Amino acid sequence: MKNIKNSIGLIIILSIFIGCSKVVEFDPHDEYQVTEVDYLQTEADYQTMAVSCYTPMQWLNQMVVIGDIASDNAVAGGENASDVVSLQQIDDYNILTNNGTIQDLWVSAYEGVNRTNYLISYKDANLLGETVDFSGKEALFGEVRFLRAYYYFNLVRMFGDVVLFTDRKLGISDFGTLQRSPKADVYAQIELDLTTAISALPTAQSQQGRITRYAAQALLGKVYLYQEKFESAASVLENVVNGPFSLMATVDDVFLLSGENGSESVFEVQYSNGQPYYNWGGQTRGQGNYAVHQCGVRGLNGTAEMPYNAGWSTNLPTQDLAAAYEDGDARKEASVFDVEAYATNNPALNVTFTEAPFKNTGLYNKKYLPRKGQTSGQIELNYENNQRIIRYSDVLLMAAEANLRSTTPNVSKAQDYLDRVRDRAFGGEDHRVTATVAAVWNERRLELAMEGDRFFDLVRTGQANSVLGASGYNTATLGLFPIPQREIEISGLSQNAGY
Amino acid sequence: MFFVGVQYSATAVLNTTLLRLKIQHMKNLILIITIVFSAVNLSGQTFTVNGTVTDMEFNQPLLGVNVILKNTSKGTTTDFDGKFSVSNLSIGDVLVFSSIGYFTKEITIQNENSLTIVLQEDISTLDEVVVVGYGTQKVAKVSGAISTVKEESIEQLKPLRVEEALQGSASGVSVIQNGSPGSKPTVLVRGIPSFTGTDPVVIIDGVPQSLDDLNSISSADIQSLSILKDAASTAIYGVKGGNGVIVVTTKSGRNNEKTEFTFNTYTGVQSVIKKIGVLNATEYGAIINEGSAAVGGDLIFSDFSALGRGTDWQDQVFADATVTSHTFSARGGSEKMGYFLSTGYLSQGGIVGGNDKSNFNRLNFTANLDFQLTSNLKFLMNASYANIKSKSVAENSFNSVIGNALNFDPTVAVYNTDANDFATYGYSNYLLSEIFNPVQQLDDTYNESNGDKLYGKFELQYDILDNLKLTSRFGYTKWDQVGKSFDPLSYYGPNNVSSDYYSDGTVKTQEVDNGDGTTSIIPSFHNSVSEYTVSNFNYTFETFATYGFNLNEKHNFDIVLGISRSKSTGHGFGASRQDVRDNSWAWADISAATGVNTKLNTNAYTGYSYQNLERRNVSYFSRVNYDYEGTYLASFSARRDGSIAFGNDNKFANFYAGSLGWVASNESFFTSKAINFLKFRGSYGTVGNENVNPQYVSITVGGPSYNSTANSNGYTFGTEFNSGATVNSFSNTTLSWEEQTQYNIGFDATLLDNISITADYFNKSVEGLLFTDAPPLIAGTSEPVTSNIGSTESKGLDLTLGYKNSAAADLKFNTSLTVTTSKNTVTATNSDGTAFVAGGSYFNGQSQSATRFEKGFTPGYFYGYITDGLFQNQSEIDDHATQTGAQLGDIRFVDFNNDGLINDEDKTKIGDPFPTFTLGWNIGFEYKNFDLSMFTYASVGNDIYRAYERNAQFSNKFRSILNRWTGEGSTNDAKSPRYTFGDTNSNIRPSDRYVEDGSFVKIKSLILGYTLPKTSNAFFSKVRIYMQAKNLLTLTEYTGYDPEISGGILDTGVDRGAYPQARTFLAGLDLKF
Repeated sequence: MKNIKNSIGLIIILSIFIGCSKVVEFDPHDEYQVTEVDYLQTEADYQTMAVSCYTPMQWLNQMVVIGDIASDNAVAGGENASDVVSLQQIDDYNILTNNGTIQDLWVSAYEGVNRTNYLISYKDANLLGETVDFSGKEALFGEVRFLRAYYYFNLVRMFGDVVLFTDRKLGISDFGTLQRSPKADVYAQIELDLTTAISALPTAQSQQGRITRYAAQALLGKVYLYQEKFESAASVLENVVNGPFSLMATVDDVFLLSGENGSESVFEVQYSNGQPYYNWGGQTRGQGNYAVHQCGVRGLNGTAEMPYNAGWSTNLPTQDLAAAYEDGDARKEASVFDVEAYATNNPALNVTFTEAPFKNTGLYNKKYLPRKGQTSGQIELNYENNQRIIRYSDVLLMAAEANLRSTTPNVSKAQDYLDRVRDRAFGGEDHRVTATVAAVWNERRLELAMEGDRFFDLVRTGQANSVLGASGYNTATLGLFPIPQREIEISGLSQNAGY
Repeated sequence: MFFVGVQYSATAVLNTTLLRLKIQHMKNLILIITIVFSAVNLSGQTFTVNGTVTDMEFNQPLLGVNVILKNTSKGTTTDFDGKFSVSNLSIGDVLVFSSIGYFTKEITIQNENSLTIVLQEDISTLDEVVVVGYGTQKVAKVSGAISTVKEESIEQLKPLRVEEALQGSASGVSVIQNGSPGSKPTVLVRGIPSFTGTDPVVIIDGVPQSLDDLNSISSADIQSLSILKDAASTAIYGVKGGNGVIVVTTKSGRNNEKTEFTFNTYTGVQSVIKKIGVLNATEYGAIINEGSAAVGGDLIFSDFSALGRGTDWQDQVFADATVTSHTFSARGGSEKMGYFLSTGYLSQGGIVGGNDKSNFNRLNFTANLDFQLTSNLKFLMNASYANIKSKSVAENSFNSVIGNALNFDPTVAVYNTDANDFATYGYSNYLLSEIFNPVQQLDDTYNESNGDKLYGKFELQYDILDNLKLTSRFGYTKWDQVGKSFDPLSYYGPNNVSSDYYSDGTVKTQEVDNGDGTTSIIPSFHNSVSEYTVSNFNYTFETFATYGFNLNEKHNFDIVLGISRSKSTGHGFGASRQDVRDNSWAWADISAATGVNTKLNTNAYTGYSYQNLERRNVSYFSRVNYDYEGTYLASFSARRDGSIAFGNDNKFANFYAGSLGWVASNESFFTSKAINFLKFRGSYGTVGNENVNPQYVSITVGGPSYNSTANSNGYTFGTEFNSGATVNSFSNTTLSWEEQTQYNIGFDATLLDNISITADYFNKSVEGLLFTDAPPLIAGTSEPVTSNIGSTESKGLDLTLGYKNSAAADLKFNTSLTVTTSKNTVTATNSDGTAFVAGGSYFNGQSQSATRFEKGFTPGYFYGYITDGLFQNQSEIDDHATQTGAQLGDIRFVDFNNDGLINDEDKTKIGDPFPTFTLGWNIGFEYKNFDLSMFTYASVGNDIYRAYERNAQFSNKFRSILNRWTGEGSTNDAKSPRYTFGDTNSNIRPSDRYVEDGSFVKIKSLILGYTLPKTSNAFFSKVRIYMQAKNLLTLTEYTGYDPEISGGILDTGVDRGAYPQARTFLAGLDLKF
């Protein structure tokens, strides 16, 4: 019996020795994992996290593609009817609720919202309740505020009423609890963020691509235009019109590598090819601009001097767009690329190509035509072309429209701004037209062709049905895209009309 | 080669007729045996007979054998030298020799000569023990569900990987093998209960390991395999037992026996079994022309008949490969010490590319030692070392070697012969990306890995009392691997986008922006060498007490009580460097490469390191086995498990299980002569699964992401890239284990001495399934959080039938049949049942997904469109639901949801990759010194998704295209639509067009052996030579290489050009001395 007692005692001792429940406690630090309680403790942490608030803007490059494909400016090409199905649906106004491109834009914009919300929620105190102060903190948060406004603006103009939350990054307990907020509330939040940003931001930044006060004012002007608040738009845009910007010599110049962040650039999403990305599971999520290879001519080949790379012929300008340009308008050459003519006119370059196999228009998007030497690694994913989101000419045209549609119109200002845009396009003053609202709208199409604004402009100005009705545009949708089906299933959101 | 005379009709999928024939055959055999053994009694004068009893295997005298005159109580037992003497015998008397653990032998006395009796060990005896969790148990007293595979069958089959020995031999275990040398098969114990991992736990000599570790153990070292299947058997492994437990017991020393040496060797050749029918060059040319003409294009090949047969790339990539194995062992012991020492070498080449390009080489050393330190203290040390070297080729994807061999242009010659062309290999002028000359691909494949594994245990056993033992063991596994690969610069022709060279042989260049307004010209491509090292260590430290006692000689108790603590760690490093001299593998080493990072090329010399999650568990476990006179059986086990994986609120979990058994044949009222043994069993209990990582809110810092959600960071300001940081995950403090509840009912019976039956029905359901729910999209792209949601259910039948004429003289015969069935259903996912996981991804011009894990269906079922023939005329298109792009001769897809529109919503179940049931049938004959055994395995009801067809305009096509639609009425087979370059209908979308019945019957092994008579050689106690054929015959309607397609749950059955199993012929020699 003594032995039994001993052995039981031994087991108990051993249990205490090896059975301590601390063994199964988990501390991520043991795995060298940085958790949220470790972060936001230094200025560098805040700065680094603010950088990633910019990142999801790069993922929204398909906004630019659908902004023209959904309009009369472009069609979705590709290899055949079953290629790029999600863009085909948008082109055909037969958008299914599980459309992958729409869903990716939705989730990308909301990732931006979550990132900016998270940083803003820890602005005054981090997770440990400590305050980290540094010079330029207010300005930094001005950038973050702008970014949140930009994400919500894209959401609201695509989807109308959207889920609005500003106080936190969503966690597991929030899943399934939120519903859509009225469009007006979303716009109110966007205005609040932008006005806050404007008061905090500097007019110039040392790094190219950082948000400036002018960018925020230009975006706010656009946001006002979308709400038909023309007086406010005219007022805020006036600051930008009088800012340090100037039109470049030609529109073509704007879209060269050398034109990036140039004198005409108010707000540009930056891309680069220095960090080649290979992830086809997230093809829009690298540092490169995925929308560029989509513009390329299939099988394009030529001598070493021929500057263009081949591409996918996905985003094809229409002949209708080409026909909209008057003779002498240099923007035609800068916007639509006639490959046949190019080959004929440049026999020395020995140009060969494959005609676009589906919905061939003979035309390609010149503004983002892929160029040699501007991509690396997985070439399709890594073009370095910045996406020009707000150019000075856009600001001039917005200001012209705001001044015309204001309850107290200022026609002379409008005429001046319109003239400046047209004079550059034609290289002289001989093609000026009278500044009417219709003239400004038409000028927007010509000036900003293939830059992603056309469809949203048509919807905003109530022209969508008259211009696109013959192509199958469904007025019941009110120009909105469908809420992604998965979101409806998971979060129980309502669907937009017409889907 | 030798045994092709064994024929089966293609339709006889082991149907009931075959079964009935077998039973009839058995009956006849039993009758004959009964007649032979009926003793005829003769009377006469009496005399005394002396003799010796020895053991057959070791030829040692047997002590204590009962020698009884039949039908009397008269008799004796053998002495220490195995000698006996029985008096008053007469001619015709029958002496019965019996001893526990041996077959009983009856000898009819013919004369007064002394007798030499050799008893054969009875391996199926009911006193046999089976290894269970933390101990052993007499088979007769087991009330749980356990399958076993014994040394003999492993020794005979000589599996390359241990799992091969389980396939079809252990009921309840499904094994789907892979042809790539050394690769891990799919192993499922009783269906697919979980989503997060279905590998059973592997316990080697009491030490937990993983299925991956089975690549390092030599099958010659294995004593037995037990598969613990029901909750009653696995609950003592608690949170690790949910997917079943494979208990591997290796050989150990034998006390007081002289050393027995064993030497086994075999060598053989492996070859591919079949080829897939692809078009020859002429046919290809004709089809390509047709496809081009269909969209109004030009003729591509103006004179396709001149193309001849062209190149069949399959002939170029498949090569015969060798397989060789040598094992040598010594086993024995003195009074205080036992030893089993072994060494082995296995070398297996792969049939894709031959020995040079894919192979698996393993060297083993094992020392299992036990020392009786004092009268009540024993020390055991098992130590094994394995060195594994292997090479591999790209497999099971559209850009695998096989994928290229099937899809590459047949008009291209293997090598370029044009002296003016820089190319070494033939290239296509039409396939300009993604699909390459597979010979070039093989030649450009350079990789090797070299791993060292050390595993084993230190164990102390202390006998506190005769029946109270304390065991403490430290088990460990150490794995270190280094590997290297080389990615050379390649040229695929002037127009191929993947060519690294211009057509003049210079490396392609690009112009880059220096950031200061100037540009530089730099090479666009570099060759590179990559090296890595991986190191893992895990241990388990366990202490437990076992106490056996009885009350009133009738109530028997066996109690186990213990604690266990385990930990696993791992880390890895890797580097890659560009610019390897001569673009050659000979110089491929980090130290010899010359790449230096510059501002314009930051990838010239890069490295990485990572740390695995350190997993820790602590557990308390106990079990009570009880029986009343071996007739009424009960077992109860409880375990409390703690795991780091779970949320703070759920660190610990309790698992309970119990089982009851009744040996009806022990009852006095049980008088059946036909039934020798009959036991009923039932069990119920819970086990778990901790196959999940802790969930917490992490911050990632860096740039682009390659994770599942591509949650990238960083931004470029101007030309300067800035790293960013963001929240990458959610926390879930309520995360808990998967709780699996299983009940099992079954019986074991022995009939007419020779027939054994074991049957079990099981039903297991999993609650709180560890499932990665799709978060709402508004939550962004942080990685999805794993939660306990959903449930699954699996139920099925395990059946084993055996027959053995154990006591026969010359012609010995045994056969066994196992049947395994399981039906698996996902019964719930998230709250509204909409969550699913898509898998089985493949690429056929579009990225496709073929499988899903979704409520209401089998896990990993095939998901796609249902086809309904082909559109023969315009009115059929008009009458059908709107199907965008449909043309004459295109596939008509079924409007499954009846909304008048063919779209994604019409996708549904189109197949099930898992079999309805599998059968394993073993048959063995021994006639005098010859032995013949055959093992047949059948899988019925498993579908295969054919995902190796690339479907590019210029990729090669499969012979079925010759039956394509060419006009109204030509064919209505949805597998054969028209051929066109402009597939506006997307005939290539995932549909049942690609689903085939993968049911098969395989003769997995056929062995003919001859054992030299003992008298012919005094030195060797056993000399056996044999020949074996593996995968001799496969009967299947599947058109691909091999209907066994292994993979994870969402990849099983998706054939992207999977590495087929080889047909192997080998010859071997077994020696004992």
